[in-house]
Amino acid sequence: MNDVKKGKSSSYLFYDFVKATAALPGLIWFRPKILFANEKARERIRGGALLIANHIGFFDPVYLMIAVWYRRQHFVCLKQFFESSWGWFFRAVHCIPIDRENVGLDSVREIIRHLKNGDLVSMFPEGQINRADGELAGFKSGMVLMAAQSGKPVIPVYIRPKRRRFERLVMMIGEPVDVKAIAAGSGMAGIENAAKLLRQREEELKERIGRSVE
Amino acid sequence: MSREEIIARLKTILLDTDERSAAALDACGEDAELTTDLGLNSVGMLFMVISIEESFGVVFENVAIGDFVTVRDVVDYLETRLKETGAL
Repeated sequence: MNDVKKGKSSSYLFYDFVKATAALPGLIWFRPKILFANEKARERIRGGALLIANHIGFFDPVYLMIAVWYRRQHFVCLKQFFESSWGWFFRAVHCIPIDRENVGLDSVREIIRHLKNGDLVSMFPEGQINRADGELAGFKSGMVLMAAQSGKPVIPVYIRPKRRRFERLVMMIGEPVDVKAIAAGSGMAGIENAAKLLRQREEELKERIGRSVE
Repeated sequence: MSREEIIARLKTILLDTDERSAAALDACGEDAELTTDLGLNSVGMLFMVISIEESFGVVFENVAIGDFVTVRDVVDYLETRLKETGAL
């Protein structure tokens, strides 16, 4: 378990420092409004889970940290970020590198290991920033494989793109999806079906969030 | 375990991954390319590797999905790993 585990918490010192430092300015600037799809979605996330969200900009990881403020998150991000001059930062905040062009098995194992250990792993299954004003791109199915292998649920979150600069940040959290049960025994077809289902859930959150703020 | 046995077990794994890829393996043999002939995408290849690890009890170390182009590459790697672990 990643949260406040005795003897392990010191390794999260920088992560917690960044989070604590950014919390107040973030809350003032974004004025977040967090909605829930239903009562099941309202329950706090405990243990290992994979958090997925649409990818609308560079601040999305910050938004997810606000949405699930009570948990530490391990963000899956491109290997290139780790090779940049900011590489130390991504390592210090416990991001997990992944090579999109040539997926290394070590990255996949690392993500599965985190999930099995009870950590919250966050990723953006569209694979890159999508500037289509909230329209969802196709979801990559790799996340389903990792969640199914770990036996942990996937929790969809929809981040509403801002129409105006000073508009409030609005997000909706959906209920956990047991992808292992959906994908079981049907090979890649099951994995692809689960990825489609998750995209559909994300679409539903998008529609509901639209109705909620109108 | 002989090379033929490795291929036979690999075929079972491919059947579980994607039935079409197992049929393509029959048609093309060891020279079948994983992406073009068997139709596996990167996630399909990950699925296959995870299944191989579970079935053969080996771990694919220090390799990336792109390192495997043909079925022969996978079988060669498996043979090497099984020899290292003493299972072959």
